[in-house]
Amino acid sequence: MLLLAMFAAVPLYFTFAISTGALILFHVVLSLIVLRVAFGRTPELVPARLMRWVAMFYVLFYVVDAAVLSRSAIAASTHLVLFIAVYQPIESVHRQNHAQRLLTTALIFIASIATSTHITIVLFVLVFAFFVFRQLMHVSHEETVRSIGHGYGEAPVGRAAVFYLAGATVIGALLFPLLPRLRNPVIRGFMGPLAGSSTSLRETINFNEGRATVGDATVVARVWMDRETRDTFTPLRLRGMIYDTYEGGEWRQTFRGLRAVNQDGTTFVVGRATGVGSPAIVEMRAQRGKVYLPSATFAISGLSTLYEGPARETYYTYDDGPLTIAVRMSSDTEPTRLARAKMSGYPISPAVETLARTIVGTEQRPEKKAELIERYLVTNFRYVPNDQAAPAMSLERFLLVERGGHCEYFAAGMVALLNAVGVPARIAGGFYGGQLNPLTGYYAVRREDAHAWTEVWTGARWMTFDSTPPSLRPGAAPENAVRFYLAAVGDSLTFFWDRYVLTFGLGDQISLFEDLAMLASTAMESMSERLRADVRTVGAGGFGKFLVLVVAAGVVLILLQRRRRRLFDVLAAYLAAQGISVGPAMTMEEALRALREEHPEAAEELEPLIAMYEQETFGGRPDRARARAIKRKLAELRT
Amino acid sequence: MSDFEFKGVVRFTRIGTIYLITTLILAISAINTGNNALYIGVSLMLGSLLLSGLASKGGLKHLHAGVGALDDVWAGRPVRATLTLRNDSRLWNVRDVVLTSEALAEPVLIPVVPRRQSITIEATFLFRKRGLAHVNAIDSYTRYPFGFFLKKRRLRLTGEVVVYPRLLADATTDRFRATHGEQTTANRPGISSEIHSFREYSRGDSLRHVHWKKSASLGRWIMKQTDAESAKSVHVVVDPYLPKGASEESFDEMVSEATTFVYHAARDGFDVTMSLPRATYRTREGEAASPLFRALALIEPAFEPVHQVVERNTALFTMGGRRDAKSA
Repeated sequence: MLLLAMFAAVPLYFTFAISTGALILFHVVLSLIVLRVAFGRTPELVPARLMRWVAMFYVLFYVVDAAVLSRSAIAASTHLVLFIAVYQPIESVHRQNHAQRLLTTALIFIASIATSTHITIVLFVLVFAFFVFRQLMHVSHEETVRSIGHGYGEAPVGRAAVFYLAGATVIGALLFPLLPRLRNPVIRGFMGPLAGSSTSLRETINFNEGRATVGDATVVARVWMDRETRDTFTPLRLRGMIYDTYEGGEWRQTFRGLRAVNQDGTTFVVGRATGVGSPAIVEMRAQRGKVYLPSATFAISGLSTLYEGPARETYYTYDDGPLTIAVRMSSDTEPTRLARAKMSGYPISPAVETLARTIVGTEQRPEKKAELIERYLVTNFRYVPNDQAAPAMSLERFLLVERGGHCEYFAAGMVALLNAVGVPARIAGGFYGGQLNPLTGYYAVRREDAHAWTEVWTGARWMTFDSTPPSLRPGAAPENAVRFYLAAVGDSLTFFWDRYVLTFGLGDQISLFEDLAMLASTAMESMSERLRADVRTVGAGGFGKFLVLVVAAGVVLILLQRRRRRLFDVLAAYLAAQGISVGPAMTMEEALRALREEHPEAAEELEPLIAMYEQETFGGRPDRARARAIKRKLAELRT
Repeated sequence: MSDFEFKGVVRFTRIGTIYLITTLILAISAINTGNNALYIGVSLMLGSLLLSGLASKGGLKHLHAGVGALDDVWAGRPVRATLTLRNDSRLWNVRDVVLTSEALAEPVLIPVVPRRQSITIEATFLFRKRGLAHVNAIDSYTRYPFGFFLKKRRLRLTGEVVVYPRLLADATTDRFRATHGEQTTANRPGISSEIHSFREYSRGDSLRHVHWKKSASLGRWIMKQTDAESAKSVHVVVDPYLPKGASEESFDEMVSEATTFVYHAARDGFDVTMSLPRATYRTREGEAASPLFRALALIEPAFEPVHQVVERNTALFTMGGRRDAKSA
């Protein structure tokens, strides 16, 4: 039990629900008690009398803990439960408290799983359940031995515990989707798997500040596309930021507040497609309301609210929790409202202007100019990963001196060069690429896929260009095949855990029931169709006869069943009618005694029948005539 | 034994109640917060609870019991007999089964009955009253697997056993010294061929010893008993008349006295002839006296006086206690 309590608290180290110091103290004290017990001594590490005083003092301490030390009722309560788990083994010297200790261990277990959202908690739950089953079996055995006053050797429980663990897991897995998901609207539950915190993307880009991004494999979105869509729209770009203004030494988004998006039924229209639309499903969690949508998206459904803003051409929703968004994309998407594109306002120096003119030469068309500049940067510049240690560098220096930097430099440099030759352009921020999971068929887009690219105004629409060398963009690093496959397996598991366990909610439950109902309906329809076909085969006249035969067989079966009804049941039914409930563990004699107290006359009438019944049942010579006589007599009594 | 006394077929144990409360708290927390990690815990706990119920019910449901032959069963004396338990379940092993019954001297603990197997154990039975005892049922209880429930099921048996009357303790046997050794001579016939006394016919008697005159007058066969025959024999008459106001307990006590008398006589090598109103039983030296004990076990009180032949030196057991015919 001591080891079980220690084990139950292990996940608390990883969830940071309470301070590590308190946890270490708990484990140290329990370890000392375990050592004492292992050496054949009592668990009384501290004298029980003194411990009782400490417990009384702890009641006051709990208030101080909640108000001052932990500043959290949950943390203070967890501390209290841990203290009880230490107190109880010491108390057990004077009082048998198996059941209470089991309860305390269960509470620690609850505290552990309540604060965990990682898939490894399943393993912990199973291991914990195994030990609890063992312990319960042991306690159950001891209780049985105590109740009869003498015992025998310890019952084997290891294999039995595994058997019951497997059974309970199967039943639990079946129950899990069926338990009602009626979340309290006041106290919200814990959030799910898709990253809810900020990505490496920022509200502004300031090249005077050094910045670093670290590899963070947390998935921010999963995108499903069919094969045709994949051919056209990969590498994938999920756009969430538009830096279109240079002001105060940094690249900024133009905030205009939230604006309603046109709706066509339940579909939000954010662009005009001139080509054929391709579908995709994006599963993500809105990041502080911001929705990251694939570039070239023109229609969105699956959201109840959607606004344009707060920055231009970025989107915001009030929808909470994991979102499953159906989008339609087109390679030729135009904005719904044509607004005159403007220059970013970046101060173009003569050197930059000279460079830009050199690159574009005599070319006049904006998209051609953009192509030339993109090719120039891709081929003549090198990618330098973000490095906190590297000094901050201006855009001017990037373009004219260093000729190397991270993606934001490439995107901003292209905007500056295009502005220098009179083409409006802007920096787009979001996520690029993602990794196709071959097991599940979705693109997993992670935080480390954060990227910046350039959008160029051609006069009618914004075109996407990316001047960062492709081999150096996110996700481009070559990867070991085994590692890739393992990562895919891991991500599939995580996805399953996220999608079908952690974020399983009322909507999923309704969908599940709908699916089941649909399945049943389809099966019924198919059966009915088959039956109709059979009926047609049998033929109308023949089928009538067949039906009569089936009904007759059914009636005969029912009659036979009634005849075969056990005497005990017949008598029990009669007694039930008299108000005497005959349980399976009750003999007819006991029932007769009960009847005698309630209705002595009825008991007198029934007594010979009971005697006959006992003779019939236990006499060793069953007699059908006697059984019939009992039933007949009972029928008479009933009338 | 109080653990096993409850109404119905199932009772929540203390641990079961605590477990249920914990599950309930966890379920409320899960619903309140929508935390699926808690839902996992609740599902597993409910699964365990369900499985526990299924296991204990499924295990006991397929259990069948049988009692081996019970020979020479005396009221108030424990007797060992074999008890066979068969588990017909295809799935469940049954562990920690406690068997209790009025016929069992103490609860019997069965560690395990593996599925599709049977086990045989020795159990101690104790019958408190003489007569035909029906062993119709044994109650089986189990807490297995997790101790959440104490589950009960009555196992039907088809056994009946004749319980011989209670043998009285040594202190009371002084009253039956008449059959013991030399002290019996005063009331015993001598060794000769002269007629010593008369007695009722019993199976195996030669018709040559019928006393025709007496038989004709009484309407049933009366046998002559010679001195030689009676040298080591004793005639017991048990009068089953239960006078008004006398209790059945005192009647049983009288039967116990008679049984103790017969028991000691047979043990000491006497030929015992026992007369009851409608039958006479006889046992010779070296023969088992079980028919006599069986008859005494099944004797019922009569509510009208019954006429019985009581001759010289007959040990008469009546509601007044044992009386020798001489003094009767």
